[in-house]
Amino acid sequence: MNSRGAAHHDGAKVGIELAHHFETVEQQRYAATLGIWAWLLTELLLFAALFLTALILRVTHPEAVKLATGHLKFWIGAVNTVVLICSSLTMSAAIEFSRMGWQRAMVRAMLATAGLGTLFLLLKGYEYYADYEEHMMPFLSRRPYELHESPASRLFVNLYYVATSLHALHLFTGIGLLLGMTWMAAKAGFLARHQNWIEVYGLYWHFIDLVWILAFPILYVVNRGA
Amino acid sequence: MQERSALELWPASASSVAVEADYLILAFTVLTLLLTVPVFLAISYFAVRYREGVDADRDTSNQRSFLIEISWMLIPFLLTLIFFVWGARIFVESKNPPPDAMTVEAIGRQWMWKYQHPTGQSEINDLHVPIDQPIHIRLTSQDVIHAFYLPALRIQMGVVPGRTTDLWFKANRTGTYRLYCSEYCGTDHSLMGGNLTIMTQGEYQEWLTHSGAQQSAPAAGRALYESYGCASCHDPGATVKAPRLAGLYGSQVELEGGRKIVADEEYLRARILNPNENRLAAGYKQIMPSFAGVIPADDLARIVDYLKAYHSTEGEARP
Amino acid sequence: MTAGSIDAGLSGRDPHTPESTLDRPRDYLHAQSTLRSWFLTTDHKRIAILYLTSITLFFIIGAVAAGVVRLALVVPNGAILNNDNYNKAFTLHGVVMVWFFLIPSIPATFGNFLIPLMIGAKDLAFPKLNLTSWYIFMAGALFTMISVVLGGIDTGWTFYAPLSTAFSNTWVLPALIGVTIVGFSSILTGLNFVVTIHTMRAPGMTWFRLPIFVWTHYATSLIFLLATPVITVALILLVAERAFHVGVFDPAYGGDPVLFQHLFWFYSHPAVYIMVLPGMGVISEIVPAFAQKKLFGYKFVAYAAIGLASVTFFVWGHHMFVNGQSDLASLVFSGLSFAVAVPSAVKVYNWTATIHKGSLRLDTPMLYAMGYIGLFVLGGLTGLFLATLAINQHIHATYFVVAHFHYIMVGGTVLAFLGGLHFWWPKFTGRMYNESWGRVSALLIFIGFNVTFFPQFILGYLGMPRRYATYPAEFQLLNVLSSAGATILAAGYIFPMLYLVYSIWWGRRAPGNPWQAKGLEWETTSPPPTLNFITPPKVPNQPYDYPIKVTETGGTPA
Repeated sequence: MNSRGAAHHDGAKVGIELAHHFETVEQQRYAATLGIWAWLLTELLLFAALFLTALILRVTHPEAVKLATGHLKFWIGAVNTVVLICSSLTMSAAIEFSRMGWQRAMVRAMLATAGLGTLFLLLKGYEYYADYEEHMMPFLSRRPYELHESPASRLFVNLYYVATSLHALHLFTGIGLLLGMTWMAAKAGFLARHQNWIEVYGLYWHFIDLVWILAFPILYVVNRGA
Repeated sequence: MQERSALELWPASASSVAVEADYLILAFTVLTLLLTVPVFLAISYFAVRYREGVDADRDTSNQRSFLIEISWMLIPFLLTLIFFVWGARIFVESKNPPPDAMTVEAIGRQWMWKYQHPTGQSEINDLHVPIDQPIHIRLTSQDVIHAFYLPALRIQMGVVPGRTTDLWFKANRTGTYRLYCSEYCGTDHSLMGGNLTIMTQGEYQEWLTHSGAQQSAPAAGRALYESYGCASCHDPGATVKAPRLAGLYGSQVELEGGRKIVADEEYLRARILNPNENRLAAGYKQIMPSFAGVIPADDLARIVDYLKAYHSTEGEARP
Repeated sequence: MTAGSIDAGLSGRDPHTPESTLDRPRDYLHAQSTLRSWFLTTDHKRIAILYLTSITLFFIIGAVAAGVVRLALVVPNGAILNNDNYNKAFTLHGVVMVWFFLIPSIPATFGNFLIPLMIGAKDLAFPKLNLTSWYIFMAGALFTMISVVLGGIDTGWTFYAPLSTAFSNTWVLPALIGVTIVGFSSILTGLNFVVTIHTMRAPGMTWFRLPIFVWTHYATSLIFLLATPVITVALILLVAERAFHVGVFDPAYGGDPVLFQHLFWFYSHPAVYIMVLPGMGVISEIVPAFAQKKLFGYKFVAYAAIGLASVTFFVWGHHMFVNGQSDLASLVFSGLSFAVAVPSAVKVYNWTATIHKGSLRLDTPMLYAMGYIGLFVLGGLTGLFLATLAINQHIHATYFVVAHFHYIMVGGTVLAFLGGLHFWWPKFTGRMYNESWGRVSALLIFIGFNVTFFPQFILGYLGMPRRYATYPAEFQLLNVLSSAGATILAAGYIFPMLYLVYSIWWGRRAPGNPWQAKGLEWETTSPPPTLNFITPPKVPNQPYDYPIKVTETGGTPA
């Protein structure tokens, strides 16, 4: 039984190491891929429940939601969308490099991905700060809420915070995992043993991107008005 | 309310809808027995007939599985669907109050009911309605979710804060029946109930004209007293240091600064609405919130009436 | 095959012959013996034992709370327990039993132990993740226990807003956070099972050779994956509302508390099938083994598992018929709920047909299984009562509901759990328990259960609302009867704990296959070695290849 899927390039071996409880590397690779897809499915439902709640609020309180979306920072959200799409590109590049065994290029692409992710978080942090300045944090009892004449708008603003902070938490965890993996992947022989980690992780990163691409129109764009 | 025995096996019913619901339940029970008893008997019989070592015919070559599967999938399902349709019909009818219905507004709050009759009279916990007259109850809640449950009429309805729900019935039998809160609503959930009294038209009119006198009953005031949170500070056993109110009415109260005053009705009223006024009882801190604008006039009157009748013995007797 | 030859074939069953214990690898229990080797194990069998121990602990906590509740209800006026403590007791019972016992019960213990064995794998696909799931489970459960130690919670296990977010003065937050954490343990367990069943099957183990136990766990795992994230979100929103006033359900601002119920029941109705489906899997293994007959209608039973898991996602609204949901929605949900009867009936009738013309042996697991079938049928049909709109308007939130779900959860899941525990106990521990004690316990539980819960159907019909610390005097006699039944039930629970634990040290050694059962888990030793099989298994046969066959004619879909 071959315990290392072999693909030689520049002298580097690319493949995965067989764990004790699998029969073949193909089985192991299939299990890892299926596992991450199952995880992403469950994560998608997590966010879907939030987005559905946002849409329900739009139906039950259309005016208040319109008022609230008017105060969201559309352009920061839009720039962040572009930033995350770029990070997905660099992550895809990292996966390609890992397949070809170009370890150094892969590590650089991963660092670029983590950098873009961090940029997103910085922009998001600035956006929260701007919200704070504009008195758009209704849950702060000492800071009068800007839209206090429209109580229902609080519900949507609250949901905005829950949804975006949950996404930010995913991204934060993602950057942490990515940096940890980059540190390990910079060592010799990593690609020969764990190349599929990069592939599996790439799927998770794309997913975080996808969630934002869903969140942006649902929270910021739909019936934003003039 | 008449004395009840410790065991009742059939609930009282007070409307034609209730009787029909009973028929529905009874018929469904019969179907349940038809579907389950054969299974129980078969299992028991097979357990004896086909025990290991017993000589029996175990030839399974003519067990036709596909047809059997389809039939036991569909036949019970179609039989139960009859009950879906029957139940749905009663349900839909019970959702549309007739135009001539008399509308009673009901408010649920922790842990009491308050009703407002169309003629303006209000009552607490106990509800009086006339017979043979469609009664439409519009329900809402001031705090958590409650549910208004009238077992004798076989109906209940959720009472949700921020929206109005409806329930209607037409009673055909006079008497006193129980009413409950059936959605768990916190500490005294099980105490949030009262009696539904169904009376003849004449009795109802009579009751309406005398309702003022009846509603000064201490029970209604006590419910309000607890509901507005008075009891949680002022009753024996409370952790907050607040003056005891049993026997307060008519007694001399020493105020801060040594002044003394007789606790009359006016004093009680003023203290509830505006505790910040400079008439603090000596030895106590100013921590009570103002109830001005919180308590409607009729509730305030009931609480004051209750306090007037609140003697210390009664207070001690409560657990 | 004639009756005579079958009896001859069965007479070879002799559970009293221990197998040679020489020349084989050490079993998983004795492979290593340090405490560290248990707490850092990645062996699915050891993790199953960790789960078994912890859920037994939570079962005891939940059962004590139930005992307190039943004791308090002996008197109608709340003289034994005041309202506040009563509410905390029933909430503790509900929270612990639902979230920390019933949901993990069969999947996390039997599923963990048996799925790799049944499909011929060495372990689950992600052994470290499996151990992580247990730690997450313990972390969440112990976090919830913080709220109990601090003074308890009184919201009911359903945590309805706005009672839980704005009005309860008890320790709601730790409980909410704990239950949220436990959800991730469920998700990871489900994920592990799905991947394992897809990728780790032994050569020859096709989908339609999988035991029904594996099918039902596959269906359960899908529910874990698809429904649990929704309750996670609902609970996160509750935590945000209670802790930070970041509310979306708050009616004071036009929010809708019923929205929480929708999110909650979108998970919690499927969660009922998380508890029920694995039990059906257990029964589908026990019945053919003790009838020595192939399971009747194998494919129908397999499809019924998937069917139940699918239908269950579309019936959540039947918990809200009287909560201000639109009438049209109520009609649709009521109709869909009746559809649940179809796959449920398939299961019950197929088990009965399996017993027909079998060669029955009424050992302890089979007694539990027969009790299960009876109670599940009653529980299921009373569910249809509740799904009928006009009846629901009367018995919604009364003791009828309490009785109904205890027939499903205790009569169903707990009996299946105990039946499965007795069935696979020799495989888990390598020891046999005392058979007569086992039969007595099965009988005690069956009687105790019915005496406890049947009166509650009547109480509900008479109109006694649930979650009542005090109640009108006319309900007292039935309540006392119910409490009396609870004492029998308690004896029935304590008894197996004693003789099963006793058997671990002093029980007879079990052979590899004490019941002459079919299935890969019986082809290895009892207890199995660390990597499950000494020689890699191959599967040449159809499932349930028992001496008495079911000849499937009449156009069974091959």
